Amino acid sequence: MPAITEARPAAHKGPRGRVVIFGTWCKGCGLCVEFCPTGVLALDQDSHPIVVAPEKCTACHWCDTHCPDLAIVVQPLEVAR
Amino acid sequence: MSKDEHSAYNYLRHTKKFPNVWCSGCGIGIVMSALIRAIDRIGLAKDDVAVISGIGCTGRMPVYLDFNTMHTTHGRALAFATGLKFARPELKVIVIMGDGDALAIGGNHFIHAARRNIGLTAIVVNNSIYGMTGGQHSPTTPLGSRAATAPYGNIEPPFPVCELAAAAGAAYVARSTVYHAVELDRYIEQAIRKNGFSLVEAVSYCHTTFGRMNKLGPAVEMMRRLKENSVTKAAAEKLAPSERPDVIVRGVFRDEDRPEYTALYDEVVRRAQGAAGASVRSAGGAG
Repeated sequence: MPAITEARPAAHKGPRGRVVIFGTWCKGCGLCVEFCPTGVLALDQDSHPIVVAPEKCTACHWCDTHCPDLAIVVQPLEVAR
Repeated sequence: MSKDEHSAYNYLRHTKKFPNVWCSGCGIGIVMSALIRAIDRIGLAKDDVAVISGIGCTGRMPVYLDFNTMHTTHGRALAFATGLKFARPELKVIVIMGDGDALAIGGNHFIHAARRNIGLTAIVVNNSIYGMTGGQHSPTTPLGSRAATAPYGNIEPPFPVCELAAAAGAAYVARSTVYHAVELDRYIEQAIRKNGFSLVEAVSYCHTTFGRMNKLGPAVEMMRRLKENSVTKAAAEKLAPSERPDVIVRGVFRDEDRPEYTALYDEVVRRAQGAAGASVRSAGGAG
């Protein structure tokens, strides 16, 4: 069992991914908004998803693996440890 | 956003065919992205993959994919794919079918492709209904559900797709749902790697026809139902027998190695050529 040589920093604050929505392909089904575990996305008045809380993204990739229109991408961000 | 930013765009005919034709929220697009992830992970070149489909909503998928593709007649996707596999055994042939396409019109092709154990990867997107033609009941419509041709409830029991394929002799059989998209692409990857007939049933939903006629709500509600009503194979074994018909059981139901059909056929060709060569030689020696 490896010895702990240094103290772990506190849990990382801030986003781990950047959510990009490709608006011309999106049909506004709302799956990404409904199932995002941290509430990064919301529907606007035209029922199209917009990023309302970019800092909450944990880069779990639920939205880009489940988008039926392939209209959303999560780009992982480098996280300083 | 630039199309270079999405890893799937390399595999799509993205300059002319998008946005796709499927209804907003349809699960078929999720199966398509799972298939792309599986192929990307295996690292196949686009020219080494052939995607064949029949008719129906699911049959539209090869239109969007930038592989060797064939969009064939209703139910005959497996028949065309069998011919292609014979002509070009080195290709990875992936057959995309809907439930009506695979099990009603193409039901005979389905069981015989499984019986021969020909090296195809069949993906059946099961949305329990004929969506494109207006919601007629299909061989996988659940008992009692309403459809355009069953307005007072369906009286036919559905086909269990995986059990049918396993009984017919498929080498690899697995089932997952579009909610479990990461599990689905893992199963598709294993199916493509398998040398033999492999089947992945992707349980999806049709909120436009089936959902409306059975009052199951929009795509989001039907997706949540897939999440809540599906269990893994291990969890299903712990359920009481009375509860089992109501849940979708996910998992790999068969994974075994049997001789593959095109390899056996090549062996026959070699044997026949050897016999013919021997008879030519003996005829020449006598003359």
